[in-house]
Amino acid sequence: MNGRSLMVAVAVTGSVLIGPVAHRASAQENVQRYVRYSHEGSTAYGVVRGDIVQQLSGPPYDSPSATGVEVALADITLLAPAAPSKVIAVGLNYLSHLGSIPPSEYPGLFAKLPTSIVGPDAAIEIPPDAHNVHYEGELVVVIGKMARGVSPEEARDYIFGVTAGNDISERDWQSDDLQWFRAKAADTFGPIGPATVTGLDYNDLHIQTRVNGELRQSESSSDLLFGIDEIVSYVSRYVTLLPGDLIFTGTPGRTQAMQPGDIVEIEVAGVGVLRNTVVRKGR
Amino acid sequence: MSAFSATPWSARAADREVALRYVRYSHQNTIAYGLLRDDVIDELAGPPFGSPEPTGRTVAASEVRLLAPCEPSKVLAVGLNYRSHLDGRPLPDPPGIFIKLPTSIAGPGDPIVLPADAHNVHYEGELVIVIGRRAHGVAAAVADDYVFGVTAGNDVSERDWQRDDLQWFRAKGCDTFGPIGPVIATDLDYGNLHLQTRVNGEVRQEQSTNDLVYGIHEIVSYISHYATLLPGDVIFTGTPGNTQAVRNGDAVEVEIEGIGVLRNTVLRP
Repeated sequence: MNGRSLMVAVAVTGSVLIGPVAHRASAQENVQRYVRYSHEGSTAYGVVRGDIVQQLSGPPYDSPSATGVEVALADITLLAPAAPSKVIAVGLNYLSHLGSIPPSEYPGLFAKLPTSIVGPDAAIEIPPDAHNVHYEGELVVVIGKMARGVSPEEARDYIFGVTAGNDISERDWQSDDLQWFRAKAADTFGPIGPATVTGLDYNDLHIQTRVNGELRQSESSSDLLFGIDEIVSYVSRYVTLLPGDLIFTGTPGRTQAMQPGDIVEIEVAGVGVLRNTVVRKGR
Repeated sequence: MSAFSATPWSARAADREVALRYVRYSHQNTIAYGLLRDDVIDELAGPPFGSPEPTGRTVAASEVRLLAPCEPSKVLAVGLNYRSHLDGRPLPDPPGIFIKLPTSIAGPGDPIVLPADAHNVHYEGELVIVIGRRAHGVAAAVADDYVFGVTAGNDVSERDWQRDDLQWFRAKGCDTFGPIGPVIATDLDYGNLHLQTRVNGEVRQEQSTNDLVYGIHEIVSYISHYATLLPGDVIFTGTPGNTQAVRNGDAVEVEIEGIGVLRNTVLRP
């Protein structure tokens, strides 16, 4: 999908963007799209039915009931589709991103922060002293059940669904600081959305990143060095995962610095388009 | 309660200040926050940084099981923040901040559980800051307004993983790798508190928070320029001196003047 057809999709479908790539995967069985949104001053979770959102009594992974309230998709503001207690990420998980770095024998994990999470259309704020902030388009796993010491074979049962994410990274800080705290976990450095989608084959989803409509990253999750089941299992050996927790699975290919005003889109097949605009934060 | 039976130097600060001591505890299957007055706890309607009302219920401190004194939405830590711990490494500039996890937090008396494949797990006794108000881009000069109080913490660390992994995620963030407690103490002179770590009664670390390279206010200010701090968030401020590996059955105590003794036992399942 190029920039022009994206704009057409915006006009037709409103906030939740579904491009031609996205349509293919959604044709599968049991695919449900869950959103979190604000409407008339209150925040809720809901399930998407066409152009309508059916409100749910709680987060989708907590077996909520439908409240009976329905609202038009066009009338709501989408928020990050999950409110995680922790945000975990995998580094160097596509060969195309490694450059000259040798692949690791086990996943290279790091942490982002709940306060770095923002939703669709939210601003990506570049801190005043940041000068080399890159996008990283990624497939993001949303955990559905408490997971501790689960095997790769069992991992699927603990995964609720997936969303699209942008693992925003300040490369100078990433290379110079003791650890990747501010490089990866500054406020707004973790946009996710637009929906948490269940029932997709998360081992083969196409991921694209566009900046101002220009394609910058394009690869399938089938190229992940450590697959999703393996990642969830590995993390759960050390850290108990809770419902709503997120795992960013890694970014493919090359990335570049973003400038204020840039529009960054991450599209994951079956999930839709996560769109955010870059701004420079005032002092 | 052993957690409060402090050594003479530990009780000093509490005597001379108007310090208040807050706890979180379970009692008869309910969990509550409370204000500790000598041997009695006044139950509070919510976390202490939310200015809760007393519920009117009281309970003897000896009747409760103490829990981690707060439930942070995030857990941050400062690396290499005492010159005595540098051991030839350069002083980080800016402060060397890293992330632990809410699931790594444990309370007084909880076991420090060694993962099956961990072979070099060290204690790190530390002063821990508890945030009281949402802090975003605050100056060091006003950072004190955002600090609710302090507690003692053990920044448990797997040294082999810390050296070999891409980042310190599992070295620092494993379940139970962040015991804190026994109380949150307010109104202490945070920059002048004596800290001691003991393993099976033997002193292993001993230093004053006066020797922190980056002080409490500088740390809070620095972090808040990048990540918004929320009430109940905690910041481990760094460990002094040298550390050693712990073994199954070891009793590790971190004692800080005015706070008391955080005691945990190491468990290899």
